[in-house]
Amino acid sequence: MPRAALLASILALPLHAHAQDGGQLFTTYCSACHGPDGKGATGGQFPPLAGSDWVAGDPARAVKIVLHGLHGEVEVDGRKFNLEMPPQGGVLPDDQIAAILSYVRSSWGNKAEAISTDFVKATRAATTDRKVQWTQAEIIKLHPLPPSKPPIANLISQVYNGEWQSLPDFSKLKATNVEEEHDGKISIKKAGATDLFGMVWEGDLNVSEEGEYLFRLDADDGARVVLDGKPVVEVSGIGPMDGGRAKNGSAKLSAGPHKIRVEYFEYKGNEGIALAWRKSDVPGWKSLTDTAIKGGRDPIMLAPENGRAVVYRNFIEGTTPRGIGIGFPGSVNLAYSADNLAPELIWTGEFMDASKHWTDRGQGNQSPAGDHVVKLSGSPAFSGEARFRGYKLDPAGNPTFSVQVGNQFVLDSWKPGTANGAPALVRTLTVNGQGDAVSLLISDKLALKKEGSASSLGDAITLQSDHAELESRDGKVFVKIIPGQPATLTYSWK
Amino acid sequence: MKFTRPQSSPRRTWQLGAFLLLASLGSASAQKQSDFYTREEIPMPPGEVLELSSIALMPDQKIAVASRRGDLWICTGAYGSDLSQVKWSKFAEGLHEPLGMFYKDGWLYLTQRPEVTRLKDSDGDGKADTFETINSDWGIKGDYHEYAFGSEPDKEGNIWTVFCLTGSFTAESKYRGWCMRITPKGEMIPTCSGIRSPGGIGFNAEGDTFYTDNQGPWNGSSSLKWLKPGSFQGNPEGNKFYTETKAIGARPVQPNDNSRIIKERKRIPEFVPPAVVLPHAKVGQSPSGIACDLTGGKFGPWEKQLYIGEQTKSEVQRISLEKVNGLYQGAVFHFLSGFEAGIVPVRQGEDGSLFIGGTNRGWASSGHKPFTFERVRWTGKTPFEMHDISALKDGFEVSFTEPVDPESASKPESYKMDAWTYIYRAEYGSPEVDQVTPKITAVEVSADKKKVRLKVDGMVQGHVHHLEAPGVKSASGGKLWHDEGWYTLNEIPK
Repeated sequence: MPRAALLASILALPLHAHAQDGGQLFTTYCSACHGPDGKGATGGQFPPLAGSDWVAGDPARAVKIVLHGLHGEVEVDGRKFNLEMPPQGGVLPDDQIAAILSYVRSSWGNKAEAISTDFVKATRAATTDRKVQWTQAEIIKLHPLPPSKPPIANLISQVYNGEWQSLPDFSKLKATNVEEEHDGKISIKKAGATDLFGMVWEGDLNVSEEGEYLFRLDADDGARVVLDGKPVVEVSGIGPMDGGRAKNGSAKLSAGPHKIRVEYFEYKGNEGIALAWRKSDVPGWKSLTDTAIKGGRDPIMLAPENGRAVVYRNFIEGTTPRGIGIGFPGSVNLAYSADNLAPELIWTGEFMDASKHWTDRGQGNQSPAGDHVVKLSGSPAFSGEARFRGYKLDPAGNPTFSVQVGNQFVLDSWKPGTANGAPALVRTLTVNGQGDAVSLLISDKLALKKEGSASSLGDAITLQSDHAELESRDGKVFVKIIPGQPATLTYSWK
Repeated sequence: MKFTRPQSSPRRTWQLGAFLLLASLGSASAQKQSDFYTREEIPMPPGEVLELSSIALMPDQKIAVASRRGDLWICTGAYGSDLSQVKWSKFAEGLHEPLGMFYKDGWLYLTQRPEVTRLKDSDGDGKADTFETINSDWGIKGDYHEYAFGSEPDKEGNIWTVFCLTGSFTAESKYRGWCMRITPKGEMIPTCSGIRSPGGIGFNAEGDTFYTDNQGPWNGSSSLKWLKPGSFQGNPEGNKFYTETKAIGARPVQPNDNSRIIKERKRIPEFVPPAVVLPHAKVGQSPSGIACDLTGGKFGPWEKQLYIGEQTKSEVQRISLEKVNGLYQGAVFHFLSGFEAGIVPVRQGEDGSLFIGGTNRGWASSGHKPFTFERVRWTGKTPFEMHDISALKDGFEVSFTEPVDPESASKPESYKMDAWTYIYRAEYGSPEVDQVTPKITAVEVSADKKKVRLKVDGMVQGHVHHLEAPGVKSASGGKLWHDEGWYTLNEIPK
């Protein structure tokens, strides 16, 4: 080889190797979300790559996600995320993708083989038709995750038969069946019964990092968790597994295996157990059962404070996107649609859980948190041109919504009250300004029936009207409001 | 550092040591942000989660902030020297992801996701009670990405709004991808089309309106764009809404996919190209809030320049603009860094203080706190920087913040230039393409030594021109704090 050429090739080599430094590229393009340490940014609010099954095994999965992005809910390391991975294929050339993924697959304890530029190039060429982001279901179907480690190692299940209404002392009972559970997940599917039985599971829970850990347990009927011989959390007695009886417990754990024992009994009726855990400073529960825990996202319950109603404007299930939720003292609630200019939902009990909209990007509609949700209507309240003009709050936070109809303003005031001793919502409708009476929709689905001095709307609502002229037309219910003559409607639940 | 002291010449060694010591101190201090700008976190109300989405400056040095959760708090003391004296009070709640807020005549004006609103406390109890809807004539369908960003009032009192595409890709509700003006009377005037995913909106010193748009479909790289009334901004998804309005004429010609902006501008007369491209990953990844420095030098010599928030990198970039052949263009420079979360709103107080709000929810950033409110003040010491870059017929003129050393500044080897553009296409983002290396053939230093004229062979219209000046020293021998800038050459002066 001529000397000049040799020199050139020696000079070129390190230059080329340095040109695509996977670690540096990762810092530039990936670390803001996945974290410089691969654990997911902002205390694990973003999906981790360290120890993630998603980056191990079949390299095509990771390459395709980087090329085309990922959309919708994903589960990583037992935790759920609903973010967006933007496609990077338009920006990053094949050699850079190869360098970044090779770095990711060999960092932070990850031990998967490097990915070559040729492999990225071939994958790109084979997927030129892909124009939208992948979903979890699509990409996992094409490239299944490697078999994940059992969440509980050396798991053994024992089944007992008997009739209990609280947890028995299983040490004094004889198991009717004992099984090794190689998938490491707690399950009652193999109990061989659906009533009058108990189960005990024992195994090793492996803790990767020392710290405080939270455990969330729910069961139908009772259950408890014992770690290294110490009780951590218990759901006692008989009742449903609907999140309402779920309990949290905590334990400080050193790195390494810990003995876990879970005891459970079922009386009669429905049955189930859900257990999840997480490090206290990392969001997102990791399930230890084959059933996911309810309320896995820590709820953020909104409620009236100091006797003042609470307002929540967001996407509320059952009404339109311009929803305005009002939670009144006295456990009565309203969702007003600023699109249809109508109160569309009323319900009792708890107001709203804001955690869906206040976690990640806030994707989707949130259903009311309470009970007896009644949908009053789902279409425009006014037949002609009408505009939402906002709302006023009185000192107790009670709203008056304002709608402009021509030169008239319809004021729609709401406050909590009672009807025959039961919680109720009291609505006062006023038309300001000169002009004709205004007709507005009360309900477009619920039939109006006269019942003495009151009426009923559908099967669920009693409607009491004062100075209000109600009329049914084409299967809908309207009220006629005369300017200067306020009308009052009181909604209560049957 | 350890010096071997030659016994024969102690005096010379001392001199050498002192020289090295001074030199190292000098270079270290010349590179430190804290020498020029003091960045401080403003304490937030304890226990509250305030993911800042809007900042409004109020009379008497009060500041209002609104959060993505929809809370609105007002603080005093944020201008003071002792930030431990900052006091907060809650003014409103239940707002729908407000992204743009200002104060005028006793009202706070807000651009919320579903509407432009003004609110005030009319009974003097310190809480907002009147929420007037000024306009809500655009569509939302319940998609989290359908954000609405709003400006401060323009000279006529109009609020400019930009509406993000549905899911940042499509236009599934009315006027997605459009810019509107909301007049003081509450009318909505369609003003521009072609928007993708905005991060902020504001004015330059002349009162023209600009917004930041994020890399994605039909956006090869993020950029600062000029909202010239009647213009098309590049993303054609929202062009179907030309059927809804005659306000800005007929629907523009559909752009060709996989083209270049410089080509499509010739086909589409309404197409106003990005004023300043913010090259992806090099200058940032998610530009956000805009503030124009009108403080007359209270934040350094950057009068009339723009400060642009950068969400992913937790930075603030600096932009110099000029108008050439009727179009805006200019240069972006790295400026401030190290903020604690992803920056969204940016506001500048009359005293020069720059106020920054940030959030990491759903979009992570280099700063790893979940949310932040920060203040930056000028120390009074000006960094040696390129002040601005302007285009010449045959090159560029660069002005500096202090006189340059004529010897280093007059050598072409003290500079480097490369240039590129992006593919204009429906696919997400673009690599840098059509790379060239324009040649700097001569440099002329101005009589006051504060400007240099670079004669350049091979400038390319439409390209981003990346100028580095690592060899340029100040008259006192200092190096540039940031030695590079990126100039978008839409037009070459005639």
